[in-house]
Amino acid sequence: MWHDQRVTEANSEPLESYVRAALALQGYHFDEAQIAEITVQFSRLEAIAQTVMQWPLPFASEAAPVFRP
Amino acid sequence: MAPAVRLGSGAGVSPVIGSAAEIARQVSRGVRSAASVLAEAKDRIRARDPDLNCFTATTFERAEREAAAIDALQAQGKPLPPLAGVPYAVKNLFDIEGMVTLAGAKVNASNAPAATDATIVARMQRAGAVLVGALNMEELAYGFTTENPHYGTTRNPHDHSRGAGGSSGGSAAAVGAGMVPISLGSDTSGSIRVPASLCGVFGLKPTYGRLSRSGTFPFVNSFDHVGPFGASVSDLALAYDAMLGPDSQDPACAQRAPEPVGTAPVLPPGIRIGILGGWFHEWADPAARRAVQLAATALNAGEWTELKGAEAARAAAYIVTGAEGGALHRPRLIERYGEFGPASRARLVAGSLIPASWVVQAQRVRRQVYREALELFKRYDLLIAAAAPAVAPLVGQETMEINGRSIPTKAGLGVLTQPISCIGLPVCTVPLWPGSDELPPERSLPLGVQLIGAPWREDLCLGAARALEQAGVAEFRLPLGYGTQLER
Repeated sequence: MWHDQRVTEANSEPLESYVRAALALQGYHFDEAQIAEITVQFSRLEAIAQTVMQWPLPFASEAAPVFRP
Repeated sequence: MAPAVRLGSGAGVSPVIGSAAEIARQVSRGVRSAASVLAEAKDRIRARDPDLNCFTATTFERAEREAAAIDALQAQGKPLPPLAGVPYAVKNLFDIEGMVTLAGAKVNASNAPAATDATIVARMQRAGAVLVGALNMEELAYGFTTENPHYGTTRNPHDHSRGAGGSSGGSAAAVGAGMVPISLGSDTSGSIRVPASLCGVFGLKPTYGRLSRSGTFPFVNSFDHVGPFGASVSDLALAYDAMLGPDSQDPACAQRAPEPVGTAPVLPPGIRIGILGGWFHEWADPAARRAVQLAATALNAGEWTELKGAEAARAAAYIVTGAEGGALHRPRLIERYGEFGPASRARLVAGSLIPASWVVQAQRVRRQVYREALELFKRYDLLIAAAAPAVAPLVGQETMEINGRSIPTKAGLGVLTQPISCIGLPVCTVPLWPGSDELPPERSLPLGVQLIGAPWREDLCLGAARALEQAGVAEFRLPLGYGTQLER
């Protein structure tokens, strides 16, 4: 299934609340139309994130390395 | 720096620029001068670029100086470097001394000019190559179409109503149209492999960390790769060898000695090749499946296999891309939101809001799928998959139908490349001409196949690519109306 198709009405309200709070925390100032557009984009990311978050991993598995001193 | 050319129409110039290898041979022997090769390249760019919009700037004054330096060496009887007099161009996210590095973004246009060349541009210069310009790309490399809101759309050399793919669309189309034999691009999630596939050229995305990214405009540090496009495997290999070597300026660049592949990479006997099914079959349309089958048959590969976690790797790449890309641009998104294109700004802001737990989980998935891939490479030396789910979509086409399912074009074109770059494997993309129900193979649009190696085995990817080229299964074709084929 294409990820966008997983977005449901059920999670739209907490998503919008999260987006508004996170925008404020990060220092953004947008009008309502811009917030609506960003919320649509974030809902797509959230749908894709479900695949990542549900993927079974060994408890102690490490993240890919991103730092080499 | 000069503005991009906007002249004439495509077919009125000598069609053949020659392969990089042949140009370098001729210049070294004094059969042609670097200046005359450059003059021909300029003619082709002036004639063909107005229809395609590959170049955002030309660097002809610099090119004349570089060509003159090569001709002076030749006149003195000194040995010439391996790319002597070969014209090339780079995606406009590579630093070029004295020019502003745009990365396809208006928001970068007021930045200071680059003080020095990017590391691999400097290495190309040392190898004798002649830089003729900077090439169009998707804004900030975020998308697979090169429909740039600020610098225009790059069109497909084989059908101008279709797109070149992206994000390195200008790099692929410039080679595809025969303007230059070699170009450079970058690949975060498929940005070399997708446009190479759509424009019918060869492309190499090396192992993550193989080539230095120092002096390139970043997008997603976790996944950013750089690599060459070429009209033949030997040209790809020549450019690759010229750019090899560690670079302490890029923290991800591996401290490995160069492992050159030479101009005629060979596939050793007994190589085990698997065809990737599952996710890679599911998201390949009939033409893409036909291209994979043609390549597999030519390489005597008959066994299907699966990369466990391919879908999760793609999703992980999506999340990390959103988070890193969003974080990178957040300060300017706050101050200058209106200067970003409408297709990227809301996505970038949304990415900057991604919670840390998603990113950490995505990086764990990445490590896990990498381990799955290493298990596969105990059974196979190479893996095959399509490089794009279908042939080039029309310019402006918002969705694509793949096996009865609709997907957004700008993100969906990378559905088959993203899982592979997520885990950093080397890939050579080769152009096939699979035909369709409507068009016979000789008139069809190109479609690329990914030849995927284990980490650091670019030699096998290029060896398989050359085997397919020698078998006539993978080939560069000049667009219809541009004249004869490449002279080797």
